[in-house]
Amino acid sequence: MNFYGLMLLTAIEVGAVGANLESTAETLGMTENGITLWILTIIAIPKFFMIAGIFMHLYGDPDSGILTMTALFPAFFIIIMILFIGLTHPDAASGLPAWCRPGAWGL
Amino acid sequence: MSGDHDHHPSPLGPHDWSHGAPHNSYAPIVMSIGIGLFLFVFAGMFDYNLELSEHEYTGHGLLWLFVAIIITGLGLLIWWRQDLSFDGTYEPLATGAPFRNIQIRKVGMFVFLMSEMMVFTSLFSTYMRYRLGLRRCDDVFADGLFDPVTNPTGWQEAVPVTCFEPASHLIASSWWHLAPGAINTFALIISSFTIVQALRYAKKTDIDEELRRKRVTMFLGTTWVLAILFLTLKMVEWFVGFYIPDLGFIHEHDIKSLVAEGYTIGNDHYQHHSYVDEATGAHMTANIRVSASTFYVTTGTHGAHVAGGIIGLTYMTFKAWKGGYTPSNAVSIEYFGLYWHFVDLVWVLVFPFFYLY
Repeated sequence: MNFYGLMLLTAIEVGAVGANLESTAETLGMTENGITLWILTIIAIPKFFMIAGIFMHLYGDPDSGILTMTALFPAFFIIIMILFIGLTHPDAASGLPAWCRPGAWGL
Repeated sequence: MSGDHDHHPSPLGPHDWSHGAPHNSYAPIVMSIGIGLFLFVFAGMFDYNLELSEHEYTGHGLLWLFVAIIITGLGLLIWWRQDLSFDGTYEPLATGAPFRNIQIRKVGMFVFLMSEMMVFTSLFSTYMRYRLGLRRCDDVFADGLFDPVTNPTGWQEAVPVTCFEPASHLIASSWWHLAPGAINTFALIISSFTIVQALRYAKKTDIDEELRRKRVTMFLGTTWVLAILFLTLKMVEWFVGFYIPDLGFIHEHDIKSLVAEGYTIGNDHYQHHSYVDEATGAHMTANIRVSASTFYVTTGTHGAHVAGGIIGLTYMTFKAWKGGYTPSNAVSIEYFGLYWHFVDLVWVLVFPFFYLY
């Protein structure tokens, strides 16, 4: 079941790249690339959990709790990395919300 | 030396499991010496040429590099022989919190995968940083040809623009270009399934040994074939390309490799076939060193992990063929499977964000 689900999701991914999403993008006020990115990201999430949770036994086994915590430990560093990717973006200073711009708190 | 001689009848192993788990080994020291020598020699193999702005091979050190690899491999082999119970007679369990009573090898594998996750995270974050920080080349092209009056911010012919040119611009440009990557995705998912099947048959107690041997060998062998297919298609995609003749129902296609298209890490005058101004015929050239580097390093690191898996699978398939897997030592397939699923997991992220988007 898990295997067939993964195959189906991959087929949808490939299909989404080939599909003409221009009219959908116009309706939603987004670019076609932006919609593709959303579709690919949304599909990647269940695929990730299906492989990690079911194939790698990180769901349902007696020792899956602590092993999941071990596997997720780098998540902390990943969040820090993504934060700094955002903060070092050329548009960060002007694009950040006012409450976290330099000077907002008298700093 | 491995301490108690009663536990290690020979310093090269194997361990005497009737005395319990081994507590020490000199093998990691041998491995450390090998790795240290490798890094020391490797660092001295190249000199930076300031005039050419590139690294040059100094012409010496290759022999010592192989010596270092042999020492590292030897240390690994000794450690393996000393500390692993190949027939499943002993599976050491962790005694300390928080992993108490979980198999040490399983914990070790997850800690290893955790470090692997950090490796790929750094590669992904590099990709994200550059992809978000640089303008896309097709957006730069859309600005139009430079004109001092009407378009002063446009691009100029023969003046390379530093922009981000994702490999997907070539790969996802047609189904044929996408085919190797898409087939590889399905190959990896199927190989994850076959490794699960190999484990299932190795664990079965209600089948006779000959049937178990055949099934486990078949599924491990299939995983091996799919892994080889993956790397072969990767080479086709990067270096070889392929040709489809006119078959009537399929038109002729000459699909060039990424390298033949000029998508290389050193190309600062890249021209995508669509970057041509229709009115004047002028070509936009792009410096794609950063974008090509992030693509090749990330997908190459993943490919290296597949290659590592092939080495493991070769041994395991041979062992299965000799009837080496029984329900008592089937967990070895499970631990390898964890690694293999992780390789699949990474591809689940690499494929959409490097090949499709």
